[in-house]
Order: sequence, then C-alpha cells, then structure tokens
Amino acid sequence: MPSSADRKLNLYALTWRLPIIFWQFIFFVGPVLFMVAMSFFLVKNYRMTEAFEFVNWSKMLSRGYFWDSYWYTVFIAGVSTLCAMCIAFPAAFALAFRASENTRRWAIFLLIIPFFTSYLVRTFSWFVILSENGVINGMLNYIGLGPYTMLNTNFGTLVGYMTLTLPLVVILQTVTMANIDKNLIEAARNLGCSAFRTIWQVIIPLSKTGLIIAAIFCFILSFGDFVAPFYLGGSQEPTLPILILDTTKSGQQWPRAAVVAIMMMGTLFAIAFTGIALAYRKKKGAK
Amino acid sequence: MSKPLVVFDKVQKNFGNFVAVKELDFEIREGEFLAIMGPSGCGKTTTLRMLAGLETPSVGEIRLNDRGMNDVAPHERDTPLVWQSLALFPFLTARENVEFGLKMRGVDKAERRERALKWLAKMDILEFADRDISTLSGGQKQRVALARSLVMEPQILLLDEPLSALDAHLVIRMQAVLTDLQRELGITFVYVTHSQSEAFAMADRVIIMGKGEIAQIGSPKDIYREPANQFVAEFVGRNNILSGNVASLSDDTARITTPSGDFTVPTNEVRLTEGHNASFVISADLVHISMGEPEGSNKAQCKLISEEFVGSMVTLFLEDAQGHEFKVQMQERELSKFDLKSGAEIWLSWDTASAHVLNES
Repeated sequence: MPSSADRKLNLYALTWRLPIIFWQFIFFVGPVLFMVAMSFFLVKNYRMTEAFEFVNWSKMLSRGYFWDSYWYTVFIAGVSTLCAMCIAFPAAFALAFRASENTRRWAIFLLIIPFFTSYLVRTFSWFVILSENGVINGMLNYIGLGPYTMLNTNFGTLVGYMTLTLPLVVILQTVTMANIDKNLIEAARNLGCSAFRTIWQVIIPLSKTGLIIAAIFCFILSFGDFVAPFYLGGSQEPTLPILILDTTKSGQQWPRAAVVAIMMMGTLFAIAFTGIALAYRKKKGAK
Repeated sequence: MSKPLVVFDKVQKNFGNFVAVKELDFEIREGEFLAIMGPSGCGKTTTLRMLAGLETPSVGEIRLNDRGMNDVAPHERDTPLVWQSLALFPFLTARENVEFGLKMRGVDKAERRERALKWLAKMDILEFADRDISTLSGGQKQRVALARSLVMEPQILLLDEPLSALDAHLVIRMQAVLTDLQRELGITFVYVTHSQSEAFAMADRVIIMGKGEIAQIGSPKDIYREPANQFVAEFVGRNNILSGNVASLSDDTARITTPSGDFTVPTNEVRLTEGHNASFVISADLVHISMGEPEGSNKAQCKLISEEFVGSMVTLFLEDAQGHEFKVQMQERELSKFDLKSGAEIWLSWDTASAHVLNES
C-alpha cells in the first residue's frame, strides 16, 4: 500500500517522464506502427490506398534481388564490424593499458571531435583521397604502382563505414578495458601467463560485455547506413537502405519499402537481442 | 642451518624521482616463514612485487636459487602470489581458477582437474568447486586464492596482506591454516603485512621496514624485546620509550637522567658516552605497579589516565608529573587486586634487566 508521500513522489517522477514518453510515442512507436500498417497498403495509379493485403510481403520476399541485397548488407555490415573491432583493438589496448590517464583523457576527447562534423562531409572528403587521381594513387604513382580503383567498390563502402563507426568503437573498447582490474592481469602473469596470452585468457573475457556492445553498435550503424554504400560504394550492389530509396522512387512503392524497412528492423532486433544476451550471459552456479 | 633461497643484493627501486625502497640487503632462508612488516608506504609491497617480477629493481639484484632474476619475466618465475584483493578471475569457477596456472603451464586437462580438486579438498572447499566466484564468502574466496597459488607446488609462496579483508574471527582461523600449511609443506612463505599481531603470531623471522629501508631483521621475540632503534620501538606498539642524558657509566650499566627521573639501564653492546643523549625502552608487560613507593632504582610515580581491555589483557595508560606517557600491560585478574580508578596515583617500577638501550638512528 503506497503512502501518500510515495504517490506524490510518483506523480513528480511521472511529470518529468511525460515529455519523453510523449515524444517516444509520437515520433517512434507511432511511425513504426504506421509503417507496419503501410506494408499492407496497395499502390494504384501511383497513389497509395489503404488496404490489408499481403501482396507486398509476398512480392518482396519472393524476389531474388531482395534476398541478394539482404545477404549482401548482412555480409558487408558483418565485415565492417569485424574490421572495426580488429582495427580498434590495438589502439584501445594501448590507450587502456599503456597510456597515462592524461593521455587517455585527451585521446577520448580527440576521438569525439570527428562527430563535430557531418558524416556526409567526412564521407565526401574521402573522394579527394581515394579517387583515381587522388592522394593515395598520386603517391603510389611515385613508386610506379597503380592507379587502383578504390571508389565505387566494397573497399570504398568499408572506408565509409569505418569513418562512421571507428571512433565510437575505439572509445567503447577503451573505456571497457580501462576499467579492468589491473591486479587480475598481474595475477595471470604471476600464474605463468605470458603478456600476449593475457589478452585471450583475461582481458577479452573481462571486457566481453563492453566489446559485444561495441560490436552491436558498429553492426547497427553499418547495416542501416545509406551514405557509405551510396557515395563510396557506388551502390553497385545495393544495400537495403539503397533498396528502400530505389523502391520508393520507382512507382511510389512506399508499402514495399516498408516491407524492407521492417525486415531490417527485425534483423537488428534479433542481432541486438542475441548480442546483449551473449554479453550478459552468466555461468550457472553449478553444472 | 638452511641455505638462502632468495638473496636481495643491495636492491633499490625508484619510481621516477621517488625512491620506494633502498639498500635492501637480506636473505630469505629455505623453508622459513618470513614476515615483512611496516606502516603503509614503507615499501614492503614493492619488495614483494620485485620478488614476483612485477617490478624490476632499479639498482642491485635479486637472486633465487643463486640465479639472477632481474631479467626473468613474471610468467617465467615460480613465485605465486596471494593478493590483498585476492584477484580471483570472476569469469571462472572456483575450480577453473585453481586450474588456471596449470593450464598456462600446459598440464593436460585430466591432471589439471585432479590436482585442482585435491587442493580444493585440502582447503576444505571441495563442495564449492563448480561455483561462481561471486557466490562465495570472503573466507571461501581466501581459500580458493591460496589453492590457486599452492596448486603450482612452488618453492616459495608470496602473500600480500591476504587477511586484511577478513573478519577478526576469520583472521585467527586463517592464521592457523597458514602456519599449519607452511609447516606441512615445508615451503618458504613471505608474508607482507602491517599487522603486528599477524606477523608475530606466524613468522619465524620478521623484517621491519620504514621509509623504504630495513629497520630491523630478527625473530618476533628479538624485535619485541630488543628493538634496534626508536622507529622499531615506536612501531612495535606497547613500549615505553624514555630519552635523556648519560649521567654515569659503569662496566655493564649506565645511569640515564631523563625528565621523568634517573634510571639504570644495561648497556649491552650499545656504545654510550657520558654526557650524550641516549634512549631506552621497557616493554609494557615488564612494568610492575604498586600503590606505595617500591624498592629499586627504576621507578616513576604516575596518574592513571585510561584502560584498554583486549581479551584478558589490560593496557593501562598513565602519565607522570612531566606529562610523559607510560603504558603498562597486565592480566586483568592481577589488575583487579588493586581496585584502581581513573586519576589514581600509582607507582611504576621495573628491573634494570628489562630496559633495553636503543641505537641512535
């Protein structure tokens, strides 16, 4: 039985929560529900009409190009996650264990700076570096190599994804590893574990939660990104975000685009849920 | 006489401009229980960490079995350490924690398991073998940490204040466990602590450190009865310290004039000069009390300030007319004969042989 003081407190808390609850409903839950409803609408004469037909779902999910695009997006986002995690790890390791506290503070500050500028602007600046007569090919030309095509390739897409995700992944990994109890690493060394082996035996198990969350973030950002595959990857093989754009453009097929979007959201839900479950999995007290 | 297992050869450790320890020059004998004791910041943990290879000496050398250890990485040493924080791996079960060191050494799975279970049984925690570390109590974790180090069957076990996080009654139990283990296994224990009771209860020899240097090495009794200098005398709790001027010298005694009176002390091997300063100590438990003025040449009249009970032992805190503090330690049943009240005037006295002259330091 809550006392009147409790009820007053609850009312107070609720008042402050109301705006965010309101906001979430209007701008998140509402649109998602509308999108789900829209996936059952029909398009007649380039006009969307309300209906409840499964034709969009059956058409979309039976098309080869949808599944090609789906698996390609899963694959390239997976490769992006793997690359970001591997490239970030040595940097985060050095910042967490080798750098002084002051250096670490500055490094994290510097890693936040890229977010000051628009991701689109940062993506365009890669043109200067990656194009046929860009900085890299110019330098390779000096030693008699190239030119290599880097724009409009998977490589270009990945460079874009790294631009988006790497600073965040480094920050998340650094913060996770900096919080490890150094005594545990020394204890492992004391018990005959070489410095390199402690990475697998101690550091990764201890920072598992943070590392998985960093990977989830990286996958979500890459999976839903439109800019990198469109501008740097040249949308040779369209990823799902590009497919959504194309679908809406061709014949005003908003309902079919909604199908793609719902498939994407479902995939991300599944990945995030599995990842979090894995991250917080605890061993049983007894086997 | 057992041979030295470890030799510290004029070892010094600097952290930047800070000298953590210097002139460490001592031996650790095979099979002994050595305690390194001192106030926090005295360098005792640094000394232990150098032995484990977690710090490298800036000057000098540490030798283990006559082998110079300065260039040997920590994981190539056989010097397991029991940590103050225990440092058990939270992502492993109790048994997996104990197996860790064996796994690193490439011992195969079946043997690993067998040896781990043997040690868990020996430490009386076999039933918790497959439990998560976080589900164990402080005392159980302590035993897992000991098993994890001892399963390596080392020649020497290092312990860094391992009992400091335990409840008082568990500390006494674990002290017994540790001394029994050390006797049974016959291996060398190096035990770092700030607790005099732990060090004196368990160790064969004690090293007292202060400000990065060794102040005294000796048996607990030597250190208690014959502190080498004022630092040790003050650190080893229940001592009365008096300072004054040497008034006269005879063959083996000296008469020292202090603000609290004139006292006769045995000179032992300490060189004293007439007219120079000298300090001496009398252990609190060697001081007698009486209501009337006693016989003898070493006595002081004091006022009782307060009493402190620990078990059946009582410590009296007294002050003489000059405000100098005296401490007397005695059995409670002896004290009850006197019926003392706070502020009571009583006489203290002690035998000349009970006094111990300090080296100047």
